[in-house]
Amino acid sequence: MVKQIAVYGSYRAKVPVRQRYWKKRADGVRQRYWKQTKRKKTIETKGRYEFSGKGKDLYKAVVKAHKIVPKGFVTVSAEKFVEQPERYGCPGEWIDREVES
Amino acid sequence: MNSQNDTVVQVNGLTEKSNPRPILGYTDRETVKLDFDNMPFKQVKYWASRVAKWFRLNGFLVLKSSEKSYHVIFDRPVSWRKNVSIVAWVSLQTKHTKLTGWFILQCIKQGSTLRISPKRDKPTPRVVYRSGTQNCQILGFLRYRALTKAILADLK
Repeated sequence: MVKQIAVYGSYRAKVPVRQRYWKKRADGVRQRYWKQTKRKKTIETKGRYEFSGKGKDLYKAVVKAHKIVPKGFVTVSAEKFVEQPERYGCPGEWIDREVES
Repeated sequence: MNSQNDTVVQVNGLTEKSNPRPILGYTDRETVKLDFDNMPFKQVKYWASRVAKWFRLNGFLVLKSSEKSYHVIFDRPVSWRKNVSIVAWVSLQTKHTKLTGWFILQCIKQGSTLRISPKRDKPTPRVVYRSGTQNCQILGFLRYRALTKAILADLK
């Protein structure tokens, strides 16, 4: 495993609200489904990026990670994150709260 | 009273918007790392020397992360299985509950992390003691630490 830079902490972000619904299948079973609504809710949670790669990419990734909070616990190469940050995170803000390393 | 000559002598409340930042750390699987919270320096040194000698880890580096909190990094690269076994041995021998908690978290992540950046009121961990060889894993750690510190300095 390569050496990585971890960017972690607590953050606040707006995420789309998921709504459940049921549909009767052809075989008669009531199946539960989830759909993503347009509504957004603010959540406060913990997350972490694990960036690997070259110095220049790491620099860019860490700078971007200050504005884009992770979608959970993400291990990604810094180069890929710099190319498509929205794939691994969403806009939000880091908050000051105790977190374990 | 002339309003044009009024000067502000005292401000109540928030004067500057706080800007919390994420914590930056160093993660890998080959370096043996220990996180001793609430332990005196003498004991940290004792345990680090004992572990380095027992597992032939060549050398170690002690960093002070906050008051009575220290990080230890060893020089010889080991496999993740060996790494877990060493840290488990230390947790068992020291009966240190915080180290055990940290160790369990590292096992879940399958990679051990130590902090490099400041965290809330705690400053950046600084090197306080070196022993033995420092040219393998410790050198790699110090390089990443320098890179991270440079990024943080640029962001300020």
